[in-house]
Amino acid sequence: MSKIVILGAGISGHVAASHLRRKLSKEHEVVVVSPNSNYQWIPSNIWVGIGRMKSKEILFPLAPLYRKKNIGFLQAKAISFHPEGDAVEAKPYVLSEYVIGEKKGVQEKVTYDYLINATGPKLNFEATDGLIPGSNKTYSVCTYGHADHAWHGLNGLIQEMKKGKKAKILIGTGHAKATCQGAAFEYILNVEQELRKHKVRDMAEITWISNEYQLGDFGMDGMLLSYNSMTMKSSEMVEMIFEDRDIKWILGAGVEKIEDGLAHYENLDGEHKTESYDFAMLIPAFSGHGFKAFDKGNQDITDKLFKGFMIVDADYTSKPYEEWSVQDWPETYQNPSYKNIFAPGIAFAPPHAISKPRKSKNGTDISPAPPRTGMPSGITAKLVADNIIDSIKKGKESLEHKGSMGNMGAACIASAGYGLTQGSGVSITTYPIVPDYHKYPKSQGRKLGKTFGEIGLAGHWLKLALHYAFIYKAKMKPFWWLIPE
Amino acid sequence: MTERISKYQRFKMMNPIIQFFKFIYLSIKIMIVVAGGHGGTREVK
Repeated sequence: MSKIVILGAGISGHVAASHLRRKLSKEHEVVVVSPNSNYQWIPSNIWVGIGRMKSKEILFPLAPLYRKKNIGFLQAKAISFHPEGDAVEAKPYVLSEYVIGEKKGVQEKVTYDYLINATGPKLNFEATDGLIPGSNKTYSVCTYGHADHAWHGLNGLIQEMKKGKKAKILIGTGHAKATCQGAAFEYILNVEQELRKHKVRDMAEITWISNEYQLGDFGMDGMLLSYNSMTMKSSEMVEMIFEDRDIKWILGAGVEKIEDGLAHYENLDGEHKTESYDFAMLIPAFSGHGFKAFDKGNQDITDKLFKGFMIVDADYTSKPYEEWSVQDWPETYQNPSYKNIFAPGIAFAPPHAISKPRKSKNGTDISPAPPRTGMPSGITAKLVADNIIDSIKKGKESLEHKGSMGNMGAACIASAGYGLTQGSGVSITTYPIVPDYHKYPKSQGRKLGKTFGEIGLAGHWLKLALHYAFIYKAKMKPFWWLIPE
Repeated sequence: MTERISKYQRFKMMNPIIQFFKFIYLSIKIMIVVAGGHGGTREVK
């Protein structure tokens, strides 16, 4: 009998738990440890942030589902990792602390045979002075709670605009090293469409602010894509959309401080500038959770497990951008020191960025961190689960399932406005996610045809279809496993 | 505001009948890209 513990119940953790439970017999124990009581379908947060969906439509409680499916659930947060156990406990364990109920504050050693660290990122708002969701007129759509607040703030501004107020709206990244530009891109287009719907578009100046060097970088160094019968750069496609929607942009901006209605940033020329706004949605930096790890003798071994995020089978050798290789990226998400620990999704430490790193004239790093959200999170979680299942069934380590982001396709269905007949979406697929310049030297490291873009109403329907399909899948309803990650 | 998307292009982007077929086409194409498999990058061939 094996016990598999999964830390986190987001896209990655929940996918891993679902597949493990489906494929392993009941003698094996699957336990999820998460401080959150709900599963949330994060990609739909942007619709909560424009008031077109209620947060209850994108979430459901985990405890009843896990009870029904025989998955153990502890509503607790991980405190520290003990991959060798300790003087008292022979088995490896994670020290966890309950966050709710009678046991709130009680710490427990959660032992395991296999550990999946799917804790995702810490939303590091503290990294930017004054960037606090819901204050200083800045908001976030990173969680459903944040998105609810964002809609409250935006709706208030819309009502003022209806009375004649001119407003400035600022949307983008809130830190020089932030990632997840895609979510901000979706939100700015949705906000723009909502303002048109409320007939106040002419009262607003909308500005995109980002740490990207070019529009359409998305933390993936941009891409060359097929669009209709043309081949164009993602920067050209996004520029076309922004100009058509009358959205201004500020690029190469590392937001460093937020005050009430003021965003202070440094640009790549080393200039310190300020942009005023009446409403802002800025994506924070992502960071690791700062977990500590200890060996059997209680010595600190954090650097064996963590490099900010968790260390996996990547090549972390420091090298210049020109020497980066697609082979640097992990394939199995297994920790090299402790072979029974895995970190899929956002929890693994990337070997380096994907976008070319850039510094301002003052030496400040201003460029996007690599994205691992959404589809790669699900795919990597499933392959980790499959390797663990194989290892248990064969009785020896099996790592047949591999999934490097350099050999994996991803779809980004970006909503560009909500509405069954008036909605719009920008559908972009990219293959591979991490460009392979040796395999595809003439198309910026990606395969044309498999890397394409489309704009139109169908994109909105697709995003809506994915919303319902993935919530169905997450609820583990009949034949849920037929829906791919 | 610069009209970068022509009226004809916009008509095609928003026409429900055209977009219905586009929806089917995109669903299949995305499925091929995403469910088309994934693997490692380090094998020496």
